[in-house]
Amino acid sequence: MFSEPKILGFCCNWCCYGGADTAGTARMQYPPNVRVLRVMCSGRINPAMVLKAFKEGADGVFVGGCHMGDCHYDAGNYKWNRRAKLIEDLLPEFGIPKKRFRFEWISASEGEKFQKTMEEFTDTIKSLGPLHRSFPKMSNKSPMC
Amino acid sequence: MESQFLLAKAKDDELAVRGECGGAVSALFKYLLDQDLVDGVLTLTRGEDIYDGIPTLVEDSEDIISTCGSLHCAPTMFGDLISKHLSDMRLAVSVKPCDAMAIKELEKRHQINENLIYKVGLNCGGSLMPITAQKMIEVFYDVDPSEVVKEEIDKGKFIIELADGTHKSIEIDELEEKGFGRRINCQRCELKIPRNADLASGNWGAEPGWTFIEVITEKGKKLLDGAKKGGYIEVKTPSEKAIIIRGKIENAMIKLAQKYQEKYLEENYPNIENWDEYWNHCIKCYACRDACSLCYCKECDLEKEFYNDEDGVVPDPLTFQGVRMSHVYFSCINCGQCEDVCPMEIPLAVIFHRMQKKYRDKTGFIPGVSEELPPLFSPEKE
Ligand SMILES: Cc1cc2nc3c(=O)[nH]c(=O)nc-3n(C[C@H](O)[C@H](O)[C@H](O)COP(=O)(O)OP(=O)(O)OC[C@H]3O[C@@H](n4cnc5c(N)ncnc54)[C@H](O)[C@@H]3O)c2cc1C
Ligand code: SF4
Ligand code: SF4
Ligand code: SF4
Repeated sequence: MFSEPKILGFCCNWCCYGGADTAGTARMQYPPNVRVLRVMCSGRINPAMVLKAFKEGADGVFVGGCHMGDCHYDAGNYKWNRRAKLIEDLLPEFGIPKKRFRFEWISASEGEKFQKTMEEFTDTIKSLGPLHRSFPKMSNKSPMC
Repeated sequence: MESQFLLAKAKDDELAVRGECGGAVSALFKYLLDQDLVDGVLTLTRGEDIYDGIPTLVEDSEDIISTCGSLHCAPTMFGDLISKHLSDMRLAVSVKPCDAMAIKELEKRHQINENLIYKVGLNCGGSLMPITAQKMIEVFYDVDPSEVVKEEIDKGKFIIELADGTHKSIEIDELEEKGFGRRINCQRCELKIPRNADLASGNWGAEPGWTFIEVITEKGKKLLDGAKKGGYIEVKTPSEKAIIIRGKIENAMIKLAQKYQEKYLEENYPNIENWDEYWNHCIKCYACRDACSLCYCKECDLEKEFYNDEDGVVPDPLTFQGVRMSHVYFSCINCGQCEDVCPMEIPLAVIFHRMQKKYRDKTGFIPGVSEELPPLFSPEKE
C-alpha cells in the first residue's frame, strides 16, 4: 500500500518557513512526508527546480511564499505566481497531473495554515498514489529515499 | 502609423525580370547598399538547385542580382544568424514573417539592435522542406526533382517549371492531405503578412511584373520614398479591387491555418504514450536548442550537471525538453526550426506551439508581434 508519499516543500525563508517553524514550536503535527527546503524567496524558484524534483522521485511538490504585498524583496512572489501558472500547464504535458503541484501564500505567523495545507496536500497525494512516470528511462535512484 | 498600399517595380530591367514579382525588394536592397545606408544585405542565394537556399551576406550591390527570386523550399531562419554573427552591422534583411518574429523577440532581449536593421518583409503562405519537396515532385509530378528549374506557389498550387518551359501544377491542399506540401508548422502559421517588419511585400493583389507592398513603419516609408527619388523603383497605386482581393486571400489563409491548428494541436495531437516514445528517441544532440532563436544563452542550463543524466542514457524529458520548454515556450514563434533539425524527427514545434497558444489565450501575448516581452518577465506587481 502507498502510505508514505514523498513531498518536497520549497518554503520561503521570510514567511512559509517561519510558518513551518511556528507550527513546530506550537507542537502542531504535520505529516512527516513533507521535506522542507528553505529558499530565500519564492521568486527564486523556477519551473526547472520543480521538474527536477519530480524527476528525482517526488510524488508531490509544494511551494510556499509570502502573501501578495508582503514579499521581503518587494515583488518576488508576483514573479513566482506567474511562473507557477506555467508549471501547471507544463506538468500535464509530461504526464504529471497538476494536482501534484501546489503553491500557497503562508505567513510566518500562520502555523495553523501551514499545518492544514500540508495535511490537505499529503491527503491529495495519497489519494493520487505514487507517481508512476511512463517515461521508460526514469531513474530509480532517488536521493529523496 | 496608417498603413499604405502600393505597387512597386525595379527600374533596373534585369532586377525586374529576375525578381520574383517586380524585383522591388532587390531594388530596395541595391539602393540601400549604393547609398551606404547599410553595410550589408542578408538574403538567400540559390545554391545547386531550387531546393538549396544559402543565407548570404551581400556587401557589393552588383551581387544583388544573384539573390533575386523566392525560394519556397528553403526554410531558413535569419533571426539567430543576425544576433550571433552580424549584430554590429548596419543591415537590411529579407524576412518571412517567422524571421521577423524571431528578430522582434531578439530585439526585445537586446540581442539585435533594431536601429541597425531594415526589415523588408515577404508575405509567406508557407515553405517546404527540401526533402519533402523532392519526394513530392517525384511521386506526384512524376518528374525527376533535379530537372526542375523553377518553382512557384500561386493560387493555392505548387507549380514547377522544367528546362523545356513546361509547367506542372498540383493543388497544395491535395498534396497536404497526403502528408506532403508545406511544413506542418507553416500550415499552422497565422502570420501571413509580416506587419512586424518595416515593409510587407508580396504577390497577393499585385499585377504581373509588380510587387504589392504594404508600408508598415515610418522607416519603411522613408526607404521606399528614398528608393523612388533615387530612381531605383517605380511605384503606382493598386486598385481598390486589388486591395480587397489581397485582404480576402489573407483571411482565407488565416482561416485555413486555424483549421490546421485544430487538426495538429488538438485532433491529431500525440498522447502521453506517443510523447514518451518520441522523447525516448532523443539522442541529446542539442540541435533543437541550437536552432532555436530564443535559445541564445551563453551558458545553457541543459548542460549543467544539475540536470544531467548519466552519460549514454536517454535524457529525462522532464529535465531536458521540459527545462528548455520552461525557458522559452511562452515566446515560441512556431518557426519549426527545432523540428526541422531534429535527427530523430520528434515533432517538437507541435508541443511548443500548443503550449504557447495556451499562454496566449491566458495573457494575450503574441510572440514576435507584441511590443512587450512576455508578461512572465514583468517586474510589476501584477
Ligand atoms: C517562402 C516564401 C513564400 C511566399 N509566399 C507568398 C504568398 O503566399 N503571398 C505573397 O503575396 N507573397 C509571398 N511571398 C513573397 C513573394 O514571393 C516575393 O518574395 C515578394 O513579392 C517580393 O517580390 P520581389 O520581386 O520584389 O522580390 P525579389 O526582388 O525577387 O527579392 C526577394 C528577396 O527575398 C529573398 N528570399 C528568397 N527566398 C527567401 C526565403 N525563403 N527566406 C527569406 N528570404 C528569401 C531573396 O534572396 C531576395 O532578396 C513568399 C516568399 C517566400 C520566400
Ligand atoms: S521552440 Fe522551435 S518552433 Fe518555437 S521558436 Fe524555438 S525553434 Fe522555433
Ligand atoms: S534551454 Fe534554456 S538555458 Fe539553454 S539556451 Fe535555451 S533558454 Fe538558454
Ligand atoms: S534535436 Fe531532437 S534528438 Fe536532438 S536534442 Fe533535440 S529533441 Fe533530442
